[in-house]
Amino acid sequence: MAHRKARERDMLDSVYSMLALVFILVACVELCDAATVVDVYRLIQYDISGVPFGSRLASLNHHAGSLHFSPGADLSRTVVMIPVRELNISFVTEYVSRKHPLGGMLFLLPEIFRLENGGGGKDVREKEVVKNVLLELEKLLVHAKLPYPVYFAFENDEIDAVLDDVKKNDATGQPATATTGGYKLVIPIAEPKKVASPTITNIQGWLQGLKADGDANQLPTIAIVASYDTFGAAPALSVGSDSNGSGVVALLEVARLFSLLYSNPKTRGRYNILFGLTSGGPYNYNGTHKWLRSFDQRLRESIDYAICLNSVGSWNNELWIHVSKPPENAYIKQIFEGFTNVAEELGFKVGLKHKKINISNPRVAWEHEQFSRLRVTAATLSELSAAPELLESTGGLHFVDETSFIRSVQLVAESLARHIYGYQGKNIQIFADNSSLAVNPSYIRSWLDLLSQTPRVAPFISKNDPFIMALKKELADHTDEVIMQHEVLDGMFTFYDSTKASLNIYQVASVTFDLLLLLVLGSYLIVLFSFLVITTRGLDDLISLFRRPPSRKVEVSQEKLANDNYECVMV
Amino acid sequence: MTVFHFFNCAILTFGPHAVYYSATPLSEYDTLGTSVKAALVYLGTALVKELLKALIGFIDVAGLYFALTQLTHRNISQNHKFQAVGLGWAFADSVLHRLAPLWVGARGLEFTWDYLLQGLEANANLVLSISLAALGSLMWLRKNKPKTLIPIIYACAGIVATMPSITSYLRRGLGWQFPKVVGFELFTSLVMAFISWQLFSACQRPSA
Repeated sequence: MAHRKARERDMLDSVYSMLALVFILVACVELCDAATVVDVYRLIQYDISGVPFGSRLASLNHHAGSLHFSPGADLSRTVVMIPVRELNISFVTEYVSRKHPLGGMLFLLPEIFRLENGGGGKDVREKEVVKNVLLELEKLLVHAKLPYPVYFAFENDEIDAVLDDVKKNDATGQPATATTGGYKLVIPIAEPKKVASPTITNIQGWLQGLKADGDANQLPTIAIVASYDTFGAAPALSVGSDSNGSGVVALLEVARLFSLLYSNPKTRGRYNILFGLTSGGPYNYNGTHKWLRSFDQRLRESIDYAICLNSVGSWNNELWIHVSKPPENAYIKQIFEGFTNVAEELGFKVGLKHKKINISNPRVAWEHEQFSRLRVTAATLSELSAAPELLESTGGLHFVDETSFIRSVQLVAESLARHIYGYQGKNIQIFADNSSLAVNPSYIRSWLDLLSQTPRVAPFISKNDPFIMALKKELADHTDEVIMQHEVLDGMFTFYDSTKASLNIYQVASVTFDLLLLLVLGSYLIVLFSFLVITTRGLDDLISLFRRPPSRKVEVSQEKLANDNYECVMV
Repeated sequence: MTVFHFFNCAILTFGPHAVYYSATPLSEYDTLGTSVKAALVYLGTALVKELLKALIGFIDVAGLYFALTQLTHRNISQNHKFQAVGLGWAFADSVLHRLAPLWVGARGLEFTWDYLLQGLEANANLVLSISLAALGSLMWLRKNKPKTLIPIIYACAGIVATMPSITSYLRRGLGWQFPKVVGFELFTSLVMAFISWQLFSACQRPSA
């Protein structure tokens, strides 16, 4: 008997320890049990001179709600899911301006805006409407301070299903909280930290002109500059096809055309051409400023003029040349006339806009102003007629129109070439269509495609980002002496990381449900217990369980012994 | 045209066997008889394998037989023996198959009905196990049974023993949803419990 007991105890012990081991192993396995996992992109968070802007929080752990909530509901622990397709911008404006407490915002962008789907072409009209809404939304969000997380996500079937469910729940009038179930949106991410020393990288390339024998003077230089970085509401989605992807591609195409001309000494002009791809555009052209500062005095003085390209891809019939020197200035007149002549031949107008610069104001609206501040003649060619405000038109969702873009490239190349080779006023087309020097549409298309799929917000791309390397290599193909200059962005701007995250959507049952279930299961077990007692032992036993006076216990156990003996006899 | 394709695939599949036989010295030594006999033996083993696959559920019955008859129990009545055995059987089954999924899945944020349905299934399983144990005790522990009831007892025991394969066929073969399958299990468990209760009390009456 004792042996058996000891063996039994050992067996039980081993079983328990095995079970415990299994539990521990199983508990360590983190299985993903969310209904849906979606990639989301955070609204940008930045400070300008210490003033905070953008979404100040990153982690999220609240219930989902939709726009159909009952007025006056408390949304401080709800994340509002807003499809941009049905967006009523006044709601967002009101919420942002009145600083209502909100758990968070999740904007759902239509699938067609996904980066992989490229730009232009499909469903352009539908895109137009949503584009305008998006631009307004971007403008609103980027200049507001939002003390809650704001994320962008692309619509897909699963998220649409979740949103429909949430709308149905909200329609019944009950806000989603811990007691009424619904969906919970969780983004487990660390607190956003400042990006330490955000770098901006400028890339420059030279095309050396032909020095005449015996000429000791330095050749004059013409500079063509475009800024390649963007700024937008969602840094992971800011691709800026038009601003300023078009400027970058125009610069690359002009570089390619002139490298063809300059490769042969017989067609090399007597001007050096300097190509500059600058960064830090949205931040008062900080990169251009630092780039110019790095030049030595002689080089700066040898620059005849600089043409800056800014958004030349989607205009109808008029381009603008913006200058800061007065239009009566001889150089400006010469440049403007050159451009106008070529434009007339190509069939469109070029207008001249003059904007004085205020040295004491740190705001730099156009890239040429950085040149003008250092007394270099410069102008910006753009389709925009008015200067954009700080952090506006810097990477939004305009799409590039190929025909107008090609005309812009032709304008720049022809005017430059006529100036370099001295053919002003003469009717000669150097880069004629169907010639070996024609503008190459497939080259332009492939680069525009690349640019419309590459988000390039400067603080979030490192020095050795593949895109920057690609630009450097491309410029090196067409020019000589490609130099990269790495600088730290002006301290006035501070950026915070955590731009991309994974959203987990859980379908949760409310606390009420759990309590109700507990009640139901408890009553089920009690009913089962009573049923079994009644059927096997008799109703009296059930009642006796509740009375249980002490004297009855002895009687009951004696009864049980008698019963057992009786049953043994029966068997 | 498809017959042509059949022909092509057939010669790819069966051709090498004929080719091997005719090309090698096998054909000279008239070994066809041996090959044919080996083929027949293979058919036999295949039949045995399929039978085993179909009847693998009956290992349950063997286990219950062992638990009811071979293990030494305290001196308890037959009535209580089968209940205790059935209870232990069902508890072990629930722990082995249902505890790990519960632990891993039911603690998460995501809500599904699966674990509640699994619990209901465990209830049905308990009833079924006790019925099977009752029928088993009738079959092996009770010596004097009314003759007419014996086939019914064996039939019911067979149905209850094959219940797991029936439910898996319903789930995979017919594609029934989990709630439907659980409902079916609950229903059949109550029905079988009732039938085995009637059988048990019917067998108990003659000896009373």
